[in-house]
Amino acid sequence: MVGFGALSAWGTGQFANAATRDPQAAARMASQGGDLAISVPTSGIAFAQLILGSLGVLLMSSEFTTGMARSTFAAVPRRLPAFAAKLVVVMVTSFVVTALSTWVAGLVAAPILDNYGLKLDLGSSQSVKLLVVNSIYVAAVAAIGMALGTLIRNSAGGIMSLVGIFFVAPIAFQLIPGDFFKEARKYLPGNTVEPLTAAQHVPDTLEAWQAGLVLGAWVAIPVLLAAVLLKRRDV
Amino acid sequence: MIEANGLTKVYGAKTAVAGVSFTVRAGQVTGFLGPNGAGKSTTMRMIMGLDRPTSGSVTVNGLPYVRHKAPLREVGALLDAKAVHTSRSAYNHLLAMAATHSIPKARVHEVIEMTGLDAVARKKAGGFSLGMGQRLGIAAALLGDPQTLILDEPVNGLDPEGVVWVRNLVRYLAGQGRTVFLSSHLMSEMAQTADHLIVIGRGRVIADAPIRDIITGKGQSRVRVRTDQPDRLSQLLAALGASVDARERELLEVTGLEPKTIAGAALENQVMVYELTPLVASLEEAYMELTKDDVEYHSLPAAEVGK
Repeated sequence: MVGFGALSAWGTGQFANAATRDPQAAARMASQGGDLAISVPTSGIAFAQLILGSLGVLLMSSEFTTGMARSTFAAVPRRLPAFAAKLVVVMVTSFVVTALSTWVAGLVAAPILDNYGLKLDLGSSQSVKLLVVNSIYVAAVAAIGMALGTLIRNSAGGIMSLVGIFFVAPIAFQLIPGDFFKEARKYLPGNTVEPLTAAQHVPDTLEAWQAGLVLGAWVAIPVLLAAVLLKRRDV
Repeated sequence: MIEANGLTKVYGAKTAVAGVSFTVRAGQVTGFLGPNGAGKSTTMRMIMGLDRPTSGSVTVNGLPYVRHKAPLREVGALLDAKAVHTSRSAYNHLLAMAATHSIPKARVHEVIEMTGLDAVARKKAGGFSLGMGQRLGIAAALLGDPQTLILDEPVNGLDPEGVVWVRNLVRYLAGQGRTVFLSSHLMSEMAQTADHLIVIGRGRVIADAPIRDIITGKGQSRVRVRTDQPDRLSQLLAALGASVDARERELLEVTGLEPKTIAGAALENQVMVYELTPLVASLEEAYMELTKDDVEYHSLPAAEVGK
């Protein structure tokens, strides 16, 4: 993520450079709120969510693929405490890892951006908001991953489902014509971050409170389903 | 003590365990014997709360396994030789298991030493041989120093030294007053280890008795008799209520009479007998006899395979 931050800082710098000469690019810059630098540290989130989401899947699916589940659930026959413990671990880990790497990415990117005359203030409230919301978001993705791993019990299947929700569905929904998919696309978990972090409401996205609820539901429903089925199914 | 009551497990259209009831008592080794697919492992998984019975119930030391506060201290189980995360070392696996029950690290070292895993304890469990995996499973079962042990096919994959070790271990544990429940499809293994035998076939209990009774009960005592007057002796013994099988010229197999009675009858009627051998059925024969109608997978006789 740090690497992507640096890369993105360079790319953004180039873009900003171009904007000073090209009025068209300048117009695009203005549409992004005028502050290009602010989102540079979180530019690696897409990859962070893939990696930590997969970690979430593996945390449960590997129990079943290796046979460890028999030992685990013999030791914890009520099952849910083990599930809850894993969920806490994967969510906290994902949050901390994302927050730390976002911050380090910011540290690395700041001097590069400075080089292009762009200011990145890591202490500003918008920077902090981006860092916190994105870290929560990645923790949520990890939780969804773990729920998928519990439900599907297969590493490849779980990760493919995760990729389906976060990478394939947004593209597919865009390609399919019709208002329904255009509307539904807003409710995909990957599209809840933008409304949650925007300085002001962006048209064609959810309101911040709606986005928060939608992301919460994306976590709560699979996790609850996974917990219920884990309790009831045979190991 | 393990008590199963009408335990049943149905998978779709297939009934794996059909209303099994039995009691496994403390202080002895109870063998759980049955051909492949008889429902042994399923029964054991239900005891451990891993599979939910379709109906019926099973308790360990008076409580369903799930209800025990510290289950590993009550029951130790080897269910599957490799119920281990493949990329975790044996030591870390045991340490993690111990952590769930506040079992001290010293106990982990103890069971590693006890099972002879010292040399490989730091290696990834995924690379273990079947025998090593088996030893690790036994180490995990012993970890909580449980009163009840459930071992599913513990000698599978062990070398001869390991087989003797398991045999002595389970006898020793039962001698301490623990409950030992041991499954196997090898009757010869059971003959040397178990005190009591529960035989299962197609998900039903076929026999539940002390091992001596199973060997002598079903196999019935037979006596091999060689005489120069087989026809005459056959008639005499048949008159006494025995069933006589003429095997060869001058060789009879008599079922249902003691050797002494046979000798007495021969002496009274002046028939010369030059061999009188009591035949004790091996457990293997008794087992085949018991399960022949309840085997799930029959093999064809060798002669028919090539057709």
